[in-house]
Amino acid sequence: MRQQRTAAGRTRGRGAALLGAVGELLLTLGVVLALFVGYSLWWTDLVADGRSGQAGDRLRQAWTAPSAAASPARAYRTGDVVGFLHVPAMGRDYQVLIRMGTGLDVLNEGVAGVYQEPYPSALPWDAAGNFALAAHRDGHGAKFHDLDDVGKGAAVVVETQDHWYVYRVDATLDQTSKYDTGIVAPVPEGSPYRGPGRYITLTTCTPVYTSRYRMAVWGSLVRVDPMDAHRTPPPELRAG
Amino acid sequence: MYGWIWRHLPGNALVRAVISLLLVLGAVYVLFQYVFPWAEPLLPFNDVTVNNGGAG
Repeated sequence: MRQQRTAAGRTRGRGAALLGAVGELLLTLGVVLALFVGYSLWWTDLVADGRSGQAGDRLRQAWTAPSAAASPARAYRTGDVVGFLHVPAMGRDYQVLIRMGTGLDVLNEGVAGVYQEPYPSALPWDAAGNFALAAHRDGHGAKFHDLDDVGKGAAVVVETQDHWYVYRVDATLDQTSKYDTGIVAPVPEGSPYRGPGRYITLTTCTPVYTSRYRMAVWGSLVRVDPMDAHRTPPPELRAG
Repeated sequence: MYGWIWRHLPGNALVRAVISLLLVLGAVYVLFQYVFPWAEPLLPFNDVTVNNGGAG
């Protein structure tokens, strides 16, 4: 009698323990997934903003250093800093460091990356071509999170050591396939542009929090302002 | 699992609580530092470039 009861108790105990272990496992999985969301949308932003902020400060110091020589004609390699991107439509003080390359190692630093493939981008000072950039929509700085706020007529300004390159947005593409590499071509496919010119393209993924599609914003160069000693921003950046 | 860990921790309840907290922090550190950075590129949330199916 007594033996039977303990045996039954042991079986029930084992079953309960197994259920408990499964429950704990599921709870743990839930917590890990929640942590991953926190990692993706919060932690990577902190890390990337810290790194790009430091890199940006270093670039500004290098620009203002007495020995700084103005020579944008050199060859730019992957990871090299090009300058800063300003888009008032994405925020009054919106400023993003621009680096060569669109690999995750570059983009995860919280920068806008310059496409090197499939089309090598033209840089802003080149006579013709497309300065094509990509940045994260979410996480890792989320620099293009609000890219859908940039509409036709918006100003896009590239700041280099000695020039302000002022572009105006001519067209946007809400959604396209991730294989649609034509949107970053020298004369972007799907854009209103028909011949060679000095263009800028901003790309990121859409809709937010997914990588299902890509979106693009196209602009063309309006003018180039020389940099003065106080680095006075062009009116497009002061108005906002 | 957690009950088993708790029973095998040394010390009184307070010491065990402190050790548990350290274990949790350690686990979070390992996740943030190693596991998530490894897992992230494998998940389809952060592709932002147009490409021909290669890395990007």
